[in-house]
Amino acid sequence: MDKIFFYECKRLIWNKFFFGLLLTLLFYGWQVLSSVTILGVSHTAPFSPWSFGDYLSRMIPLLWIGALFFLTFFTSSKARRAAVLTDVAQLSPRRYALARCAAALTGTGLLALFCLMEAALFYGRYFGWYGWGELLAPILITLIPPLVFALGSGWLLGKIRPWLVYLWMLIPFVWMILPLPEALSLWNGSFFTNYPSVLGTLDPAFTMPQAALLAQCGLLAAGACLLVLFPGKNGSSGIHRGKVQNKRAENKAP
Amino acid sequence: MEINIQNISMTYPNGKQALKDLSFDLHTPSLIGLLGPNGAGKSTLMKLLVAALLPTSGSILVDGLPLAKTDRLLKTRLGYLPQDFGLFDELTVAQFLDYMAALKGLRDPKSAIRKAIRVVNLEKKAKSKIRTLSGGQRQRVGIAQALLGDPPLLIFDEPTVGLDPEERIHFRNLFSQAAQNRLVLLSTHIIEDVQSVCNQLVVIDRGRVLFTGTPAALIEAASGHVGAFWEQEAAQEDGLHITARVNTSGGIRCRAVADVLPPYAQQEEPTLEDAYLYLISREAVQ
Repeated sequence: MDKIFFYECKRLIWNKFFFGLLLTLLFYGWQVLSSVTILGVSHTAPFSPWSFGDYLSRMIPLLWIGALFFLTFFTSSKARRAAVLTDVAQLSPRRYALARCAAALTGTGLLALFCLMEAALFYGRYFGWYGWGELLAPILITLIPPLVFALGSGWLLGKIRPWLVYLWMLIPFVWMILPLPEALSLWNGSFFTNYPSVLGTLDPAFTMPQAALLAQCGLLAAGACLLVLFPGKNGSSGIHRGKVQNKRAENKAP
Repeated sequence: MEINIQNISMTYPNGKQALKDLSFDLHTPSLIGLLGPNGAGKSTLMKLLVAALLPTSGSILVDGLPLAKTDRLLKTRLGYLPQDFGLFDELTVAQFLDYMAALKGLRDPKSAIRKAIRVVNLEKKAKSKIRTLSGGQRQRVGIAQALLGDPPLLIFDEPTVGLDPEERIHFRNLFSQAAQNRLVLLSTHIIEDVQSVCNQLVVIDRGRVLFTGTPAALIEAASGHVGAFWEQEAAQEDGLHITARVNTSGGIRCRAVADVLPPYAQQEEPTLEDAYLYLISREAVQ
């Protein structure tokens, strides 16, 4: 398992696509920090949880794409051709899939970590500010649920049809243009710019309405369930055998 | 190890019947050549044997136990090279084999990898990225991963595709050596690959078994049905299946198989290729 995890991490992270994605992410992140976050959102300080949350919200679409990009290493037609070898090995498909999921999660976590490090550098350099404890809540609430959901849902879609993973990459952009209710406003980034003004105080402490918190918890739970329950159910590729087995059942039908 | 294939049929969802009521037994030690033209059902049979497909009807028993229920056990004893496979281009040859060794749960992966790399003559490429390898070298990596850990059952589907003649001879000998204490199943449509090394042949065509037995028995079955003649002497070729045409100084010399040889044909000793073609052509006529 450790070795599979190590090699999958190597495949996902040690390649030019990862570095290209990382550079794009850092470039975009710096643009957001130096042109939007620096002004502060909703009359709060640039290093308030609200401004920082807004920065993270703006980074989510690229991180989402990154997470799904990692999955293409397991769902592409090339990966399926390799699965004819890996599927006949004795390691249980579930354990194999979990090792691969863990690698994708590590890659996604690494991208997110670079975003946070960039923000840390920005806050330190421009404001001499290092109070990161205050920002933990927006990090956990904003980043983790959608990225875990991206991996869980992407894995499932990739099993059904590999191209669905690419289509799924567009979802955050669809969310951004949809007028979502307040409970889902974290999904399109409007929560951090709108909610502080609802609270009616200057530079309010970070709080969340219960509905929005539940929506994020639901997203996290759904993503975790998809990651734990579905990978490996039909072999490591999750496609080849399952498809044939299902078809066999069809064949047997009178 | 003993594998019993009992009345296996396989129909794909699109309605294509790939195998029809196949039955035969395989025992260790032996090197079995699975012969048949393209589309005969060889690869489907291979996939059924490694539990990558499930048969529409019939069953496969491995040491008396149904494969459908013991596929995990089979996988601990299996080395498999499919006809069409992919590799992880981002890894080196040694890393890929290490990856496969981990998947196979090998206890001493380092020595198994060293041995597999040596056997397939890839020592110089062990640290090269797979994406830099030629087609033949990739095929050799595929063979190496199948050989990892010396599994008692080896299944190779068209293993010599993409290999140069020298490599093909090398691997034929390798399979022959491996079969001394193992069960090796070699699927191919290249007669040369099985001619000198296989002790048992299974010929299938259009999903049915046409022959099971030794190469000698197959050759014997074609005795009296192989002839040679000058093309200019032949009045017509009805009932003849030409297997070779050779330009000589005296004209074109033809070699053919037929149920009844015409009077102008001179009887020849059949080769395995003749015997195979006779079997297939006779089946086509029927």
